[in-house]
Amino acid sequence: MPEFHRKIERSAIGFVLAIVVVASIGGFVEIAPLFTIDDTVENAPDMRVYTPLEQAGRDIYMREGCYACHSQMIRTLRDEVERYGPYSLAVESKYDHPMLWGSKRTGPDLARIGGKYSDAWQVAHLINPRAVVPESIMPKFGWLRDNPLRIDDLGEHLTALRDVGVPYTDDMIANATQDALGQTAPDGDFAAGVTKRYGEATQVRAFDGNPATVTEMDALVAYLQILGHLTGAAQAGVAVQPEAAQ
Amino acid sequence: MSWEHETVVAFSKSWGLFYLIAMAVGVLVYTFWPSNKKRFERAKDSILDGDDKPWK
Amino acid sequence: MLAQLTSGERQLSIVVLILMAMVGLAMAAAGRGDPIGVHGFIVVVASVAMIFVMLSGLYAPEPSAERLDHYYDDPSKVGVILTMIWAMVGMFFGVWVASLLAWPDLTFDAAWASFGRLRPVHTSGVIFGFGGNALIATSFHVLQRTSRARLPDQFSPWFVLLGYNLFCVLAATGYFMGVTQSKEYAEPEWYADIWLVIVWVVYFAIYIRTLARRKEPHIYVANWYYMAFILVVAILHIVNNLAVPVSFGHAKSYSAFSGVQDAMTQWWYGHNAVAFFLTSGFLGMMYYYLPKRAGRPIYSYRLSIISFWGITFMYMWAGSHHLHYTALPEWVQTLGMTFSLVLLVPSWASAGNALATLNGAWHKVRDDATLRFMMAAAVFYGLTTFEGSFMAIRPVNALSHYTDWTVGHVHAGALGWVALITFGSIYCLVPALWKRERMYSAKLIEVHFWLAISGTVIYVFAMWNSGILQGLMWRTYNENGTLTYSFIESMVAMHPYYIARAFGGLLFLLGAITGSYNILMTIRGHSQAALQPSDDAPQRNLAPVAQPAE
Repeated sequence: MPEFHRKIERSAIGFVLAIVVVASIGGFVEIAPLFTIDDTVENAPDMRVYTPLEQAGRDIYMREGCYACHSQMIRTLRDEVERYGPYSLAVESKYDHPMLWGSKRTGPDLARIGGKYSDAWQVAHLINPRAVVPESIMPKFGWLRDNPLRIDDLGEHLTALRDVGVPYTDDMIANATQDALGQTAPDGDFAAGVTKRYGEATQVRAFDGNPATVTEMDALVAYLQILGHLTGAAQAGVAVQPEAAQ
Repeated sequence: MSWEHETVVAFSKSWGLFYLIAMAVGVLVYTFWPSNKKRFERAKDSILDGDDKPWK
Repeated sequence: MLAQLTSGERQLSIVVLILMAMVGLAMAAAGRGDPIGVHGFIVVVASVAMIFVMLSGLYAPEPSAERLDHYYDDPSKVGVILTMIWAMVGMFFGVWVASLLAWPDLTFDAAWASFGRLRPVHTSGVIFGFGGNALIATSFHVLQRTSRARLPDQFSPWFVLLGYNLFCVLAATGYFMGVTQSKEYAEPEWYADIWLVIVWVVYFAIYIRTLARRKEPHIYVANWYYMAFILVVAILHIVNNLAVPVSFGHAKSYSAFSGVQDAMTQWWYGHNAVAFFLTSGFLGMMYYYLPKRAGRPIYSYRLSIISFWGITFMYMWAGSHHLHYTALPEWVQTLGMTFSLVLLVPSWASAGNALATLNGAWHKVRDDATLRFMMAAAVFYGLTTFEGSFMAIRPVNALSHYTDWTVGHVHAGALGWVALITFGSIYCLVPALWKRERMYSAKLIEVHFWLAISGTVIYVFAMWNSGILQGLMWRTYNENGTLTYSFIESMVAMHPYYIARAFGGLLFLLGAITGSYNILMTIRGHSQAALQPSDDAPQRNLAPVAQPAE
């Protein structure tokens, strides 16, 4: 044994291998099983993918670093369930590349923020949070309403997402740009395509109040309004886990 | 997926522990092996000499 | 600085720089209208600037063979300067983001200055800019001394140091433009990540090539820690950053992982970045500079070996304690918690080893602020690892997670351990590198020490208070069985602590500025030693400093 160690230590390469092997075991043992899971990620047949507009909103959410202050993971604790809604299920973030569970709540959890406030409230709050909630310390994001959303490359975004495993169809990818236009203009020509591809329940409206242009505000609000509602799985089993309920 | 989830989890849960113990024993044996004492003593003093040139 | 490069190395540098400039040009062309284009432009400018520097010395005479009789310290010198620059930049942004939480309108309505974009500038600035440069600069120094061998060549250390800083610049400038993967502490996008892999491979090669040429049969333990840092960070970085870019003209990419797998991979990365970037490498620093400064060998070499393998093996399991009570399978959570607790053993073994080394030299700790920096670092290391193990316990985590307590814990480690051990090591290193008898001013080191300690203590106490208060307010029920406090009430309660935290951070920043000034004056060859007969010298029995003639 000591001879063995002396050898691996004398040749630097052996030592390197020893470090790699020793250090890798933990990660491998812990992470590998998660990739063979079929039963731990719940089955949710009603789970849908993000529309191009919502995905663009999600990208803006990441770009602005929202995840630094807002979590999207309601833990199985009674106070969290009562404050934010049914605890988060693994299935709910299965199309999230990457996940945005977050690690800090400087602001409240957003896992189920969708539908909690009106579009107008969200827009006003993003433009000036302190106009709506005087004590808020959130930054202002007024420029989102002025920035037109880049929609010409949404198909490429969806393609990349399909490459990492999100089940976008060719139809969805081909019509990504139109669907972004359609989702913000309910009376326009493209609105019908959105509900055809993403389901009747898809929210189609002028999120920032102006159907004429698609802005970054439209995208972000569309994303916020769908949070927690891609599947009804969590709402279906609202019982708090007994272990955490004490 | 050729590996069943159960198998992988079982493997992880049991072999992880054996690894831990084998590792610990190996490291302890090496550390306390009597003939290694001298090299360790030398190593800990070696950084304190004032020599600041590469050896030929 | 270039005088030591052979003509072959100068030519190689220019070839590499031309290649880089071409890649930069391609990025700029493919990414018009996208942030990647701006980054391409930055790469071109940086490469071309370096090409001019290289051309200016291209036909200088060959370096003399005599250089091989000395260690190659020029990259370490530049590395120390970059370390201090990044310290000031990173900590400045830290104070800024801390102030934003107290006074949210300090963004001046600019997109680039909102909290979410500035925060990674702070975290990457201090972790990668300050910490990473300190690790590279000290590792080159320690590696050569403990191997009794010169670095293998004069090109690759520069490639690593400057290439790494290019990565840091791409990261920081990207955040201002909103380029981020949103994976905490792994925010830089795919092209910056690929570049870091290239730099890292060369870094690793330097280590292996120097070790292969070493004249000491045994590899000193500090190198074990540096090696673990280099190797494991490579593994973590590559796995966690696997992603598919939207196109070559887009900065944006989508992570290969999603949901629960991504969460586990991310925190396996995140926690081990703490372990192998912010702990292992800095322990390497400690195991060399602390005994060196104290003039005493490490208390127990055997203990340092045991803690090495303990840390290397066990940290890898602990990441899942970031995901207690989440959708992660429970057995993984429990495993993470268990290993987090066991981890206390090797951690305290390291801290205890450092403190026991100083036993019998306490008078030096009293008189020498440099050594005191390192002692305080070991104490904070012990405290932080204890706190970390404690916070990994599920019920404790139920309270502490998502609150400022975590932020306080991280800063106890980052300020108290990482920054203090770095400053202590740098104060040892600077006089040695620039061949000065001592630092410019021992008094300023003393000032820096107390600014750093008071800043850290104020910061950590503020965050303990706010974190625990926050955690308790969120779970307080009134007698009707409903939640007592709204979220906004808990946030308002944080205000005084956020001000205290910004103040603590400001003190720490002032300390770093003091240190930078002191280092600058030392480099320029000034010394206040004649005025201060106190002792900032590594050995006790130095000849008395000459007093000015009357």
